[in-house]
Amino acid sequence: MSTSRLQEVLICFGKQKQADIATANTGVQMWQLRKLNAALANPKLNTENDAEEFGKGHEFPTQSFQTSWDAGSALEKYLSAEIAAWAMAFSLGKVVKSGTAPNFTYTCAPLFPANGDAAELPYFSFVEQIRPGAAVVLDRMAVGCAIEGWTISIGSGPGRANSKINVEFLGSGKMTEPSGIVVPAATLEKLLPSASLALTINGVNYVTSKNIVSLETSWKNNVRMDGGFFPGSGFQATGDATSGAIRGRLEFANRQGTLKFVARFVNGSTELTKLKNQSTGAAVLSLTYDANNSLEITWPKVSFATAELGETDGIVTVSVECLPMWDAVNGIVSAVAKCGVDSICQ
Amino acid sequence: MSERNTVWLAAPFGQGEPREVEATPETLVPLLVAGWSQCAPPEMEVKEDVDE
Repeated sequence: MSTSRLQEVLICFGKQKQADIATANTGVQMWQLRKLNAALANPKLNTENDAEEFGKGHEFPTQSFQTSWDAGSALEKYLSAEIAAWAMAFSLGKVVKSGTAPNFTYTCAPLFPANGDAAELPYFSFVEQIRPGAAVVLDRMAVGCAIEGWTISIGSGPGRANSKINVEFLGSGKMTEPSGIVVPAATLEKLLPSASLALTINGVNYVTSKNIVSLETSWKNNVRMDGGFFPGSGFQATGDATSGAIRGRLEFANRQGTLKFVARFVNGSTELTKLKNQSTGAAVLSLTYDANNSLEITWPKVSFATAELGETDGIVTVSVECLPMWDAVNGIVSAVAKCGVDSICQ
Repeated sequence: MSERNTVWLAAPFGQGEPREVEATPETLVPLLVAGWSQCAPPEMEVKEDVDE
């Protein structure tokens, strides 16, 4: 019997969105991408028992009941045009696709229920397989997953690790095992390296001045997990009330965006002044592989919440946390992702 | 094919006619924030060719 090693794990997931939370992606709607982290999307079965019920004559459980299912995991990846487009589209929820091959452009913005948008995020299915087929070790699909949030980290240095994305996702709890999916060939990704960064924050071009050291930006949907269980939300096995409840919706709650960066602090640096004055301006960061593959994230209005002097490798630096604020015209954040893959989140 | 890169957007709350707009972030983002969302182009009305 041969040992199963985690390097064998294949993942694929919906590049297109599901028709609804309960309808799984088909194989042709999915893509295979590689990842860096070992975490698996383990389903979690929540159970109850009858220990506290009277009439048994004792305090011990005699029965256990399947109550509900949880699912979810994280994808840690080197940042590429493809995963960036997918993460922006599925996490923000509102997408306009334009362009033609090989230059598809996905313009993404958050959903705003006050203006008629849904509070439910787009759903995708997530498949994990190890030796699918006769000698299967693992073959399962989490159906009805939504992105909880992402963090993009840009650092100094030439390696791929200086431009990464971490995507956290949550599931409805519905699982299909075996998945019935033939994992497609891996998509060749176009990496967006740290060295391609362009960055302007609050009127300062930090790349031109050669002062940027690192930055991190994130989005979090704070999905209402408990709100997914409503009367009639359904069961793991359709019509089987003993199989455990699954969620019938995944809605975002109070969403949060963050942007923080570390820059060299030199004569003329304005971060401390802008903190005191609470000056506001746009923050625009972009990363580029080529003309057809890139990511641009715009926070249209930020102020500095904190700015602290410190050091990085012996050089005086300032560490700034921005406060993204609502802009009456351009909202809180937008992303323009270009890549050669069609139908992302369509 | 048109040289203009345009998309069709449906009005917020489904109220109003779809609009064809330039597919640039400067145009799209304010509309998305205001509740517009992408939709298929409206079908052109086909008139029967009456040649009498």
